[in-house]
Amino acid sequence: MYVSTVYSLIIINKAGGLVYQREFHSGLHKLSTNDYLVLAGTFHGVHAITRSITPRLPLASTATNPTTASHSATASLSVTSPSSTTTPTTPTPTASNNPTANTPSSTYSFPNPSVPASGLEFLETDKFRLTCFQTQTGTKFLLFTDPFMANIDVVMKKIYELYADFVMKNPFYQLEMPVRCESFDRHLGSWLRGRI
Amino acid sequence: MVVYSFYIFDRHAECIYKRRWLPRPVSITSKSSRPASDLSIQSAGGSPAVFGESARTTDDDAKLIFGTVFSLRNMARKLGGEDDNFVSYRTNQYKLHYFETPTNIKFVMLTDLKSPSMRLALEQIYINLYVEYVVKNPLSPVEHPGGVGVNNELFEESLEQFVTRVLT
Repeated sequence: MYVSTVYSLIIINKAGGLVYQREFHSGLHKLSTNDYLVLAGTFHGVHAITRSITPRLPLASTATNPTTASHSATASLSVTSPSSTTTPTTPTPTASNNPTANTPSSTYSFPNPSVPASGLEFLETDKFRLTCFQTQTGTKFLLFTDPFMANIDVVMKKIYELYADFVMKNPFYQLEMPVRCESFDRHLGSWLRGRI
Repeated sequence: MVVYSFYIFDRHAECIYKRRWLPRPVSITSKSSRPASDLSIQSAGGSPAVFGESARTTDDDAKLIFGTVFSLRNMARKLGGEDDNFVSYRTNQYKLHYFETPTNIKFVMLTDLKSPSMRLALEQIYINLYVEYVVKNPLSPVEHPGGVGVNNELFEESLEQFVTRVLT
């Protein structure tokens, strides 16, 4: 039997500003509005950093982009051995002996090269689980749930759907500004209540 | 399961030990020893944005990782209460595991997505390796500025063994 407790929802705009915060269940500590703003900004920064610290796996040196490889080979040859008469277009054995010749910036791949690196998606602590969903336009949905809750992506998808329907289609909503849409609040509340 | 890297941070936010199992491109590790080749990279590195990405050293990575885990740990404490612990996070590329001792020494490990929770493993590294070979070493200083005392042969070798034999 799984517990389906959604503690709270936070929406962060693409600039890192807090545009929506709502608590559904008590269980997490309540913060002041200012603290929520700080939390949103901090998370926005951390999210970008978690993407940039993705481990880079070096590739075999021969599989590099030929233009970059020959380019750096030429440049390093000209520095380390100016008397060399090698033609610049063909990477030579001399060039591959030089460690720098094999390492233009394109010689790494991510652990899962089929998709572009994302930032933090799930965070686990002893007491809660944070799921972050970033839309194509950079808006982030943060859902705080019970650590054992299943099917979080279903909840996330529905929330995004409600956001698209009741916030984005609201003619009075100004982009990137705090969400004050009564119908969104209402539908969100009743849908989440209906699940439990 | 693949372990990418492992870091220890002391209570002064300094990285006292780092270890990566899949090396970065050679240009970065040979940076200090070969100033000439460093120069050539700079002149050759296509667009400045791409160069900036690749030029980040392992030192900078350690600082970024510390900043990340520190912020997330504080966030977890703020929302879950003082007794809450940040355990791990994952992106679509890697997973980061975190363990903090009561003395504020932080153990961080980056692995691939298939790995299970590494909290126990990090605890084991602390109890069986760090305490045994670093803390109980009479020649090791109390604090470890710049990694002094942590980078001893016994610790490094047993860590290597633990990661390559026990975890994979």
